[in-house]
Amino acid sequence: MIYALTVPGAIEDVNEVRVLEWHGQPGHLFAAGELVVELETHKALVEVRAGHAGVLRQILTPEGDWQAVGSALAILSDEPSEPLPESAGDLAAMAVEFEIN
Amino acid sequence: MSSEPPKTSRKLFFREAITRALTEEMANNPKVILLGQDIGKFGGSYKEFVGLIDRFGSTRVLDTPVAEAAMVGLGVGAAAAGLHPLVSITYMDFLMLGLDPLVNYAAKARFKTGGQITVPLVVKTTAGAKGQGVVHSQCIEAWLMAVPGLKVVAPSTAADAYGLMKAALRDPGPVVYVDHKRLFATTGEVPLAETIIPIGQAAIRRTGDDVTIVAHSWMVRIALEAAERLQTEGIGCDVIDLRSLAPLDMATITQSVARTGAMVTVEEGQLTCGVGTEIAFQLREHLENARIARVGALPAPVSSNPLLEAACIPDADRVIGAIRKLLGSNSA
Amino acid sequence: MPNPDSDIFRPLRAMMLIRAFEKALVSRADHGFQLLSSGEEAVAVGLCDAMGPDDQLLSSGRSIGPALARGITADQVMAELLGKATGPNRGKGGRGHIAQPDIGFFGAHAVVGGNLTIAAGVALAMKVEQRPGVVVCLFGDGACGSGALHETLNIAAIWQLPLVLVCNNNQLSVSTARGTALAPARLSDLAIPFGLPGATVDGMDVVAVRDAAREFIEAARRGKGPAMLECLSERFFSHSTATRDTRSAAELSEIHARCPIERLAHGLSPAIRAALQAEVDAEVAAALTKADNAPWPDLAEALSDVL
Repeated sequence: MIYALTVPGAIEDVNEVRVLEWHGQPGHLFAAGELVVELETHKALVEVRAGHAGVLRQILTPEGDWQAVGSALAILSDEPSEPLPESAGDLAAMAVEFEIN
Repeated sequence: MSSEPPKTSRKLFFREAITRALTEEMANNPKVILLGQDIGKFGGSYKEFVGLIDRFGSTRVLDTPVAEAAMVGLGVGAAAAGLHPLVSITYMDFLMLGLDPLVNYAAKARFKTGGQITVPLVVKTTAGAKGQGVVHSQCIEAWLMAVPGLKVVAPSTAADAYGLMKAALRDPGPVVYVDHKRLFATTGEVPLAETIIPIGQAAIRRTGDDVTIVAHSWMVRIALEAAERLQTEGIGCDVIDLRSLAPLDMATITQSVARTGAMVTVEEGQLTCGVGTEIAFQLREHLENARIARVGALPAPVSSNPLLEAACIPDADRVIGAIRKLLGSNSA
Repeated sequence: MPNPDSDIFRPLRAMMLIRAFEKALVSRADHGFQLLSSGEEAVAVGLCDAMGPDDQLLSSGRSIGPALARGITADQVMAELLGKATGPNRGKGGRGHIAQPDIGFFGAHAVVGGNLTIAAGVALAMKVEQRPGVVVCLFGDGACGSGALHETLNIAAIWQLPLVLVCNNNQLSVSTARGTALAPARLSDLAIPFGLPGATVDGMDVVAVRDAAREFIEAARRGKGPAMLECLSERFFSHSTATRDTRSAAELSEIHARCPIERLAHGLSPAIRAALQAEVDAEVAAALTKADNAPWPDLAEALSDVL
C-alpha cells in the first residue's frame, strides 16, 4: 500500500511548518517508531515518527521548504517497488506519531 | 532550466524576522545590548532571541530578574550613557511597572537636559489577547502615544517587524516596539536585502473607494478579512496599516479619507482616549465632513475564557457591522 | 591668606560656597521654590572629594550642593536655577534636574528613587564598554522605602556593577520622620541581604564621608562591585522654600549647632575664615549678576529637543 506523509494537524496555532531535516533518503526503510522528519513551527520542533514500517519513496517538501497543515510531505509504501501514483492527493495518510518539543 | 527570476525575499516565521533584525543590528553596532527575562539560553518567550547569546555572549544578552522597573531603568540609564539597549518586557501589561523610567526619565531626558542626554532605547513588548487573561492581554499603546518624547511602532507583518525593529535600533529614541502575540504564529516574506521601514510611515494594504479602515498590528489582519468580505457586497475598502502610532502618518490617512469620505478605526485597545479617537479628531481638523466610526474592545477586562475573550475584542463581523452602519446611515 | 594646599581648605571652601550660594538664592523669590541642602554640605562635598574625573554622579532633586561640589560652576548653577539660557540645561531643567555629564554630573532627577535604576544603567554601560569610571548615586532616606532601591541593589549585586549607592539620610522626607517610615535600624543594612558591603557614617563630618566614600568607590573601580553608604545628616531648612517647617525652634537650634562647616573650620583663624567667606560671597554675587543679565530661553525651546 502507498501512503502520504502529511503535516500533522493537531498542533495549536500552526497553519504551516518548515521542514528542518529528513532522517532518510528515498529507498530508506523506516521501522515503526523511527524518526522520519523534523518540522519547525513558530515555537516548536515537531518530530514525526513512522506509525508503522514503510519505505520512503519520494520527498515532496525538501528541507527548508514550507508546507501547510494537512498537506503531503512525502510518499511512502509498504513495498520498495510498488508503482507510485501521479499525485499524492488521493493517498491515505500514513499513521504517524509525533512529539512537539 | 528554470527561468524564474531570482528571489528577492524569503519566507520567515514572524519571530525570525525579529531575530534577523536583532542579529544584523548587533553585528553592525557593538553598542546594541539586550536585556530581558528568559532571553538567553531559553531564547525568549516567543523564541525571538534564539541563538543571540551564543553569537554575542552574555555581556550583550543579559537575562534579568523579574524586575520591570529596574529593567527599563537600567536600559534607560545605559542608553543615556551611550549604549543602544533593547529591553524586552514580555507583556505590555508589565510595562506599567517600568513606566517611571520610561515616561519620567527617558521621554524627557533630551528636553530637560537641553540636548545633553539622549536615550536611544528600544522597549520591545507584546500586546493583545491570546487566551492569557486580564493582565496579559492589554493594549496600552494609546497611553504611550500621549507621552511627548516617546515613539511607538507596531508591525503587522514579518517584513515590517524586521524593518521597524531595525529602524528602532537606529533611532535616537526612545522607541516602544509592540508585537501582537497572535502575530508570532504567522509567517511572511521578508526582503533578502537589508531594509529599514522609516518610523512614521503608514502602509496601504488594500485599496477601495467606499471607506477607509485604519488599524495597526493584529487588527490589520481583521480589517483585511472584513474588507475581503465587504468586497463581495460591492463595498471597496482602503486598508491602512498605521505601523507607527507615534508619530502618526496623518497625511496618508487624510489622503485616503479625502477620497473615500468615510473612516472606520479598528483597535484591540480601549476606545476611550484610544488610537481611533485621536486619529478621528485629527482627521476632522482636516476633513470636516468625513463620516467616522470606531471599533475597539468592550470597556471591560479581557478574560482568559475563550468565549468572553472573543466577545470583548473586535472581529471582522464587528468591523463589517460598523462599516455597513456608517455607510448605510448616510446613503439612506 | 589660607593655604590652598591645606587638607581642610578645599572641602571647607566648597561647603562655604554651597551655603553662600543658597543664602543668595533664597533672597530671590522670582524663580519659584528651591530645594535647599544647607546643613548637608558635608555629604555632597565629602562624596565628590572621593570621586575621580571618569566617575559620574547622579543625585536626587536636592541637587544644589551635589552640582556645585561636583564642579558645575556657581555661574552655571545659578543661571539654570533662575531659568536662563546660559544654564547647562539651557534653563529647561531648572530645580531638580540640573545636569552636566561631560564634567561628571550625570544629573539630578526629581522623582524620589527615580535615579537609582538610571544610575545602575549608567554603571552597566561603563561595565559593558570597560570604561574606567564608577557611578555614584546620591538619594535621600525617602527613597529607601521605594522598590526601585531593592531592585537596583539586587541587579547591581548579581551583575557586580561599578555603582556606589549613597543615602543622604537627612532624617526627613518632606515632613515624615525617617523613624516612622523605614523599618531598618541602619539604612545601610539594606545592602546586607544582597551580600553587599554597607556603612553608616556621620554625614556632618566631611572627612568621615570622604574616607568612607573613597573606600567604596575605589573598591568598585577595582572591580569589587557595588556598595551602599549611609550618611547621617541634618537639613537646616524645610523641604523646600515653599514648605513650612514642622520642627520646633529648639530642635532647629540643636540641628544648626551641628553645622558641618563650623565643625571643619574649628580652630581656623577668624581672618582666614573671613577671607574665605569674602571670596565665596563674591563668587556667588557675580554668579547672580551674570544670571540676571543672561537671556531667557527662546520660546521655541518649549518644543525643542522633545523628539
